[in-house]
Amino acid sequence: MSNHKDIESFLRENRPQVDENPLFILEVQQKMEVVKGIKAEVDRQRNYGRMAIVIALALGVAAGGFLMCMAYLYPFDPQRLEDNIFTVVKMYVEPWKPYLFILTSVCTILLGLIFSRTNKGSVRL
Amino acid sequence: MSPERFIDLVRAEQESLRRFLLALCDGNSAEADDIAQDSLVRAYVSSGSFLGLSKFSTWLFRIAYNCYLDNKRKKRPDTISADSKQALDIQSIDETDSTFRYQRLYMALELLSEKEKAVIVLHYFEDRSIKEIASILQIPAGTVKYHLSIGRNHLKEILK
Repeated sequence: MSNHKDIESFLRENRPQVDENPLFILEVQQKMEVVKGIKAEVDRQRNYGRMAIVIALALGVAAGGFLMCMAYLYPFDPQRLEDNIFTVVKMYVEPWKPYLFILTSVCTILLGLIFSRTNKGSVRL
Repeated sequence: MSPERFIDLVRAEQESLRRFLLALCDGNSAEADDIAQDSLVRAYVSSGSFLGLSKFSTWLFRIAYNCYLDNKRKKRPDTISADSKQALDIQSIDETDSTFRYQRLYMALELLSEKEKAVIVLHYFEDRSIKEIASILQIPAGTVKYHLSIGRNHLKEILK
């Protein structure tokens, strides 16, 4: 083994060969049958978790969208203070406008990512 | 992922996966196949969490490597290293018998650290890129390159 090329070619030429084992996949399938119940339970819990995240993000997008509409679009005249709920909300969210935008964007992006990954049908080998 | 789809994907990867574990287990094919089956069952149970962020084979190899490490932790430390060194000293690399060549290779691999062995096996036996190895072993690409270089030098010394 005089240099790197030698050791590299030695390793590539001597890569181990695995013996044919026709029972290998059959045994895996049998084991998969045994853990079917466990998989169903794991999938159920994962789905609940995913659903909770989606609901939380959707609520975040909805609430963020509403508050942004209030902050950016609701007409507000500081000379004429009306005592209604929209005016109160508008006054409250006014200083938080940029943060509101960022948080709503993050919620929307995360929601989009979750949906794009969930609907992915193909698997890269 | 349906069981049929999962088995189809596994069929395409089984040879490569078994070879990877065979090399990690220093040629013990029974142990390697047991770990391969355990890792495939583990992968099947958690297949719902596979989101396609990496290749299926990369994900599968990552699970297999973790299974191998779990199995290794359960076992007590091997005491074969001294014998391996002695066997390497008395034999020649130009031996034509392939079984012996593998034994010699396995004994040499056994003397490497776990990370070095995994990196060498993935890169030279499975033709995995540095990026893929980093993803499988969950270490930075720079660390993979380091282990590859160190492992190659160690092997060169051992097989000299």
